[in-house]
Amino acid sequence: MLPRAEIAHWLFAAGFLFFGLVLLAEAIVGQAVFRRRAWRAYLWPSLALFAGVWLWVIAIFSTFSTLHLVAHSIWAQAATAAGAVELARVRGRLHSSYWSLVTAGALLVSGGSFLVHEQNGWLFSRSAFLHHLIGWTLVVASLFPLGAALRPRRAVWVYGFALTWIAVAVMLFSDRDIAPIFGHLSDLAGGTP
Amino acid sequence: MRRAVVAAAALATALAVPATASAHATMKEAHPAEQGRVEQPPREITLRFDQSVEAPPNAIVVLAPDGRRLSGTVTQTDRNTVVRARVRGAVSGQAYTVRWRVVSADGHVGMGVFTFGVAVTPPPPTEAVGSSGMTWRDDAARWALFASLALMIGVVGIRLLVLPGELDPRVERRIHLLGALGAFLALNTGIAGFVIRSANALQVSGVDLLYADLSPFAESTRFGTAFLVTTLGFGVCLTILVVAWALDVPLLRWPAFLLGLALVWGYPLSGHQATEPNATLLGAVADWVHLVTAMLWVGGVLTLAVVVWPLAPRLRREAFLRFSRVAVLLVGLLVAAGTIVAIERLPELSDLWGTSYGQTLLVKIGLVCVALAWGGFHHAVVRPRLERGVTPPGVGRSLLGESAVALAVLFAAAVLVNGAPPPVEAGSTTATPTSVR
Repeated sequence: MLPRAEIAHWLFAAGFLFFGLVLLAEAIVGQAVFRRRAWRAYLWPSLALFAGVWLWVIAIFSTFSTLHLVAHSIWAQAATAAGAVELARVRGRLHSSYWSLVTAGALLVSGGSFLVHEQNGWLFSRSAFLHHLIGWTLVVASLFPLGAALRPRRAVWVYGFALTWIAVAVMLFSDRDIAPIFGHLSDLAGGTP
Repeated sequence: MRRAVVAAAALATALAVPATASAHATMKEAHPAEQGRVEQPPREITLRFDQSVEAPPNAIVVLAPDGRRLSGTVTQTDRNTVVRARVRGAVSGQAYTVRWRVVSADGHVGMGVFTFGVAVTPPPPTEAVGSSGMTWRDDAARWALFASLALMIGVVGIRLLVLPGELDPRVERRIHLLGALGAFLALNTGIAGFVIRSANALQVSGVDLLYADLSPFAESTRFGTAFLVTTLGFGVCLTILVVAWALDVPLLRWPAFLLGLALVWGYPLSGHQATEPNATLLGAVADWVHLVTAMLWVGGVLTLAVVVWPLAPRLRREAFLRFSRVAVLLVGLLVAAGTIVAIERLPELSDLWGTSYGQTLLVKIGLVCVALAWGGFHHAVVRPRLERGVTPPGVGRSLLGESAVALAVLFAAAVLVNGAPPPVEAGSTTATPTSVR
């Protein structure tokens, strides 16, 4: 009944890749062109809200440690908060660019949770390395919505945000439970030094 | 400011520098299986981990129902990923508790507890030998959960049932806020309650609890199943409520409200009471009605006190009069359902003062009487004046007072839900007069 961890990682990788490509497409053609079809504006908030619900599914399968249960619930709530605020902005309920700070906060909290929930060191295994890398990527990526809140007209924030999700998708696709990292598997993980 | 920057830099450095020898292990397989049943007494317990672990001499402790220790010193194989302990003295027809504790290479202690039965069905891990019963922390978490549900189900329900139609935008915003806040708090207090209850059986706290294995509680207990279902369900409720806010479509709250009502079923079905020999479907339905009407009532009073009164003076009269009519129905159902539940759980009148469960129920009944008297005062004194177009002074504060008493009633309800009623022998309708909390 319990899905293997890499299946969940790959599922989210596929979702994040689509999410990143949507954002990149919007960045390349510009918001005015991208949103000529009104439904396209709803893609990013809908995907974030959908990810939030899915993360609750993963959370209830993560009771093998308190830390994992709590971390997944934090990601679910962060995705829901960011998706809700973006949906309200698209709908015209929220107008200030400062609402991007919610997305910045969600990324910061999610990155912090990634770093705390990974109990192993960087070089312990491939998944440990990637969890650290994803955590720091999200922490650094929180600067993009922060920049969008303070300097909304600069395109670099939109490109940075889009590329963040493509990078996270690649990292999650590379993620496996216990696998060698760069051809080496720590003996602590049961491998040959 | 400079201190904050230095602290942030130190934290970032600490997180960035890799630990050279850190590893945290997770138990992947046990024999006999967790909450499993075997037909012959096992000669050894085997635990397989996903990584190598360090096992102290008492890494696996097998306990008989009377607390006797049956396990010997442990051995390790398969590059220290498998830990074994010999078992002597296990007999057929009994259930046993296994407590394990290993040290990962990162120094963190991983631990867990489970039970297995020899030719019998084992008890849930919450009843493992050495587990403590419910504590005040469980009661506080349950109360916080009920109060959250009063926001999510009560406030949203009163908006849908009592205040339909277009409302002042400020009122609508606050109802959106309270509903979403209720769902958010229900999720987090639910998680806290689950972890606290698991910790009672694991007998750990602090950092050790962070690495403890909670899966036996999630997968093998009624409260664990209820936790999994309600967590997912409240997550969906939260999403629906924030979408209703973002799109400004109040009717979208209906599915969240109905799903919330359905999820409350989890509490009567997973409580101690549901496992009693004299438990009936009528009792479970009455328990659900009791909880739902209480949450709607509390939510209604809170809506009047913190939404309508401070934000919409023009709506006060209409909202108060409408809620008064609904409150009579709610209170009637609340009392009737509560009476059915009380009779089922306390078949003897003397159980009311002879058992701790009955004494808690008496306290709750006293609090309900205070709340009812308060509500009756509003109904008999405030309502007629409002009907004449006069708003008496101090009603807002009085509503806040009634809300506080209602929240106290929810606390007593939380204590009762966590507690076990006096045990009833199978085939009997008479409770054994012993204290069980």
